[in-house]
Amino acid sequence: MILNKENLKDLYQNAPCGYLLMKDDGSIVNANNTLLEWLGYEREEIVLEKTFQDLVGMGGKIYFETHLIPLLQMQKEISEINLELERKDSSKIPVLLNAKLVQDSPEDELIYRVALSDMTQRKLYEEELLLAQKEAEEKTKQLKQINEELERFAHSISHDLQAPLNTITSLISLYEEEGLSENEEKIKEFFSLVATNTDRMRMMIRDLLSYSKIDTKTKNLDPVSLKEVCQEALELLHADIQKHNATFDIGDLPTVMGERSQLVRLFQNLFSNAMKYRSEEDPVIEVYSEKGDDFYTIRVKDNGMGIDREDEEKVFEFMERLDTDKSIEGTGIGLSTCKRVVENHGGNITVCSEAGDGCTFSFTLPLVEQEENVRE
Amino acid sequence: MGTDITSRNNVKRFGNGSQTIMFAHGYGCDQNMWRFITPAFEENYDIILFDHVGSGDSDDEAYDFDKYSSLKGYADDVIEICEALNLDEVIFVGHSVSTMIGVLAVGERPDLFQQLIMIGPSPRYINDEDYYGGFEKEDIEGLVETLESNYLGWTRNITPVIAGKSNDEKFAEELKNSFCRMDPDIAKHFGKVTFLSDNCDDLSNVSIPSLVIQSEPDVIAPSRVGKYVQTEIPNCSFTKLDATGHCPHLTAPDETIKAIKTYLAKG
Repeated sequence: MILNKENLKDLYQNAPCGYLLMKDDGSIVNANNTLLEWLGYEREEIVLEKTFQDLVGMGGKIYFETHLIPLLQMQKEISEINLELERKDSSKIPVLLNAKLVQDSPEDELIYRVALSDMTQRKLYEEELLLAQKEAEEKTKQLKQINEELERFAHSISHDLQAPLNTITSLISLYEEEGLSENEEKIKEFFSLVATNTDRMRMMIRDLLSYSKIDTKTKNLDPVSLKEVCQEALELLHADIQKHNATFDIGDLPTVMGERSQLVRLFQNLFSNAMKYRSEEDPVIEVYSEKGDDFYTIRVKDNGMGIDREDEEKVFEFMERLDTDKSIEGTGIGLSTCKRVVENHGGNITVCSEAGDGCTFSFTLPLVEQEENVRE
Repeated sequence: MGTDITSRNNVKRFGNGSQTIMFAHGYGCDQNMWRFITPAFEENYDIILFDHVGSGDSDDEAYDFDKYSSLKGYADDVIEICEALNLDEVIFVGHSVSTMIGVLAVGERPDLFQQLIMIGPSPRYINDEDYYGGFEKEDIEGLVETLESNYLGWTRNITPVIAGKSNDEKFAEELKNSFCRMDPDIAKHFGKVTFLSDNCDDLSNVSIPSLVIQSEPDVIAPSRVGKYVQTEIPNCSFTKLDATGHCPHLTAPDETIKAIKTYLAKG
């Protein structure tokens, strides 16, 4: 193909990129057909009529004045500036801009050549990449948390689960060395110790299994009546309620979007905790709720022994037991499980307490989706 | 102490005169933007150039998001530079956001300054019921999006590679890469602080003679806003240039130099 004037004109006008000439105040002195087609303008509407600033949004105008023109003045050329042009119909087209000073333009009238590439597809890729990056960062954060939890888990297992095992092993060694005593009381004590430590291990394994089952984000949310969930938890705790002569006052509770079994576990753990860490008085536990703009707040209030203010966050840590608890059986997993359930449902849990004055556990559960989805 | 502050703000001092003139750059750039202006003052003035912390070759490590969450943080730096270099009777020439940084510094320590020259000033960019600044709050969000797509999308992980080149090449490359180069988070923060500030009430605290240099049109700081600044500051002059755009010191340096010199000649 011979490069004649016509070919060159065609190359300029119909190039697969937008092309314009502008002065240093942004006024457009020429534009090719491709750019005019992209923007939906006639030539006479743009050339010598509009400035480059007229083709971008307000954010772009500020960027033009504070970055683009200073860079062009200083460096005579710029490359790969990411902007959005506004078409005549106000729709947007993302472009990549390269510009260069026309070498032989007169001193008093600087002219810049501006080439624009349509980067609609590239912008989509970029957005997808940024989204993927954000997701990857989120996953990394989650993995880091899980790793830290696993480390604590491994440490706790080696320590807490080995303690009863060590006791049993010591008892067996004693039996091997000295034989079983003929004293019936001693034999009873021996087996009682083995049973207590076995129970403790069983309880710990049960709690660990329960905790590990709630290790992923809750996916299948259904409308769940918290009132019914509380009743179910109370049925499961029937023996303990009898044993402690506990009274429960369950107020009006909402229906939320959630995973029923997890929510039952949440109330079961909170109720069990309220009875276990009771004061000398018979346990009285109240459950009530408040409706906020975006969340319900559910409160579980007891009249138990309470905890010190400084321990309020510590109680939710995995396998963390407070010093005052040692006489009471527990694994330090129950409240971690509660925290995990609430967070899986998009809420958070806190406790407010004064030592000797009971505790109030408060947790939030989202309201919006529930109102949109629940049909009662 | 002096050395820390001069390296923090990449302070440069040159010129043959005794009268100090300090040039403060605007948002988005650095002290290099004065390169067409300073030669005209070199013979008769003691010139101070610097980069605001977070811009140009300042010490990014010194960027404290709390300190620089208002323009006062930058004004305090200007005062510290004056103190570190034992300056007084300073002629302060500010562009864009630095005009208000100058207003704050002069209001705080009028004893350090003799004249305040403001190129393209705006005490508040966002319109209010009875105030015209030229922008709505959403426009600033648009700027932040543009900044994000230009800083985060392309340059986040790109750092200048200048090792192994000759000194001249290194200098050229360094200049090219440092000009308008900012850490993306700092650029966004500085952008928000610049365009969301309201310094209207500080204007009346300027007790030294001052000048507004105004281009027309200037979409960032329209003439109407420049006039407002002149009205609110006591003893303030106004010079309108034939130049257009927000950076007349880059696009029309001769006219800008003339405006400054004419004003200073009047004493």
